[in-house]
Amino acid sequence: MWHALKAELIYFRPWLLGGLGIAAFVSTLLTVLARVVDGADGVPGFLAGMFPIIAGMVVAFIAQSYRSEEHRARLLMAGPMVPRQLAGVMVLLPICLVGLGALAGGLFVGAIALLTGPLEAATLPTLGVFAVQFLAYAQMGPLAQEATAARNQRRSRAAVAGWTVFVGAVMFLVASQFILGSAYGVLGQLMTVVAAMVVSAVLYQGRTDFTR
Amino acid sequence: MSDRRPEATAAARLSGLVKRFPGFKLGPLDLTLEPGTVLALVGPNGAGKTTTLNCMAGLMVPDEGGTEVYGAHVHPARTEYRRDVGYVGEENGFFQRWTAGRNLEYMAQLLPGWSRDRATRLADRIALPLGTPVNKLSRGNRTKLALVAALGHGPRLLLLDEPTAGLDPVVRAEVLDVLWEVTEDGEHAVLYSTHVLSDINRLADELAFLRDGRLVLRTGRDELSESWRRISFRLQDEEVELAGVVEHRRVRAEHQVISRDAEATLERLTELGAEAVEVARMTVDEIAVQILKEGHDVARAEG
Repeated sequence: MWHALKAELIYFRPWLLGGLGIAAFVSTLLTVLARVVDGADGVPGFLAGMFPIIAGMVVAFIAQSYRSEEHRARLLMAGPMVPRQLAGVMVLLPICLVGLGALAGGLFVGAIALLTGPLEAATLPTLGVFAVQFLAYAQMGPLAQEATAARNQRRSRAAVAGWTVFVGAVMFLVASQFILGSAYGVLGQLMTVVAAMVVSAVLYQGRTDFTR
Repeated sequence: MSDRRPEATAAARLSGLVKRFPGFKLGPLDLTLEPGTVLALVGPNGAGKTTTLNCMAGLMVPDEGGTEVYGAHVHPARTEYRRDVGYVGEENGFFQRWTAGRNLEYMAQLLPGWSRDRATRLADRIALPLGTPVNKLSRGNRTKLALVAALGHGPRLLLLDEPTAGLDPVVRAEVLDVLWEVTEDGEHAVLYSTHVLSDINRLADELAFLRDGRLVLRTGRDELSESWRRISFRLQDEEVELAGVVEHRRVRAEHQVISRDAEATLERLTELGAEAVEVARMTVDEIAVQILKEGHDVARAEG
């Protein structure tokens, strides 16, 4: 499984690097503009670091789309991988991509701090909260995909379970905006990530068709 | 993955295989493929050929029945059978933006038993452009890549889903050449789905005709060629009943029939006193068209 995950990360590396490049450009531009136009210190540190995380999330969606379009399961199932391992790759890939985005975001914030002086104490925790939230969004893709696959394969109970978790997760993510700063908000979002991953993986293992 | 199974086992065995889709049901299919046999699975689009192969490759779970490959049960959650299976389909899951060579290198790491030497020799033999990204390859070269990928780990069973469909005549001939060489050693069992009937003559030892999800006939290629004939004759009798006839055209006293049992038909014509009897051989393509047109009737007649 780890070998397949590594291959996917290498395959999508150009997209990720491109996305992070664009994110760095946008963050830098915003910071410079805020200083020049408003004469302010620049945009808040967490905002500058958020764009790389968004880039990681967008690449996670792109990766999901490409893997599906390229029928990757067909290739991997020629070898010794079983559905449980394929499901592992499916749910871990968004974590890796958003995680790498978060890492880049942290490094970017650090670079800004080196150039402009110390950041507010809340910068990194705020960035962490956004990282968890974007991670939850990134896991919605595989969940929706597997709920749809279950419906197409006439696995009614699996489809209903998948869509129920999907709708519940989206509703919670919307509602959690109001408690974003609290520990309950972050904990709830982390639980949403885990629930989405588990349900996606279970639905994938129950597939009766791995051709698409 | 486990060691290979004993040679005596059937290369593939389908037992009561059923797969249902909205508006279509495949099976129940019972089919055995012996080692060293090339079996063409012939049928029109939508007959269930691809679904059959997908079930045999472990990419689909049948609703009923099952498949074995060299004695190992085929299921997506199991891996014992995969060492013995090479699959060429329309989509093979390659990393589209990687070169053909890089995809093969990845497969070398993925598949136990992969031989870089075998893959390189085959790629050279069919002039596969290894340095070109897959999404820039022509359809013919993508088929060649799929073929190298399917053969690289030395499988004993090849599942080929319309490998020559949409190829130009030159590439088609190249692909058929490779398949011919692969099957020539008599060690590989091949299940080859096609609706390009001219491929049959070259490769297949046996033919299985699939229509509307049902196996209507399985027969040897030579047996088929020997028993089917186009027969023309003159006979005044309008309501003539002839054994083995699947198609009968008549203009006044001139009759033209297609018989799946030429011997029985000719015998009956002699009894009836038919005149100007002329018998012509039919190509396997022509016979296949007749079988697929008359599918259910032939199946009933063949028992």
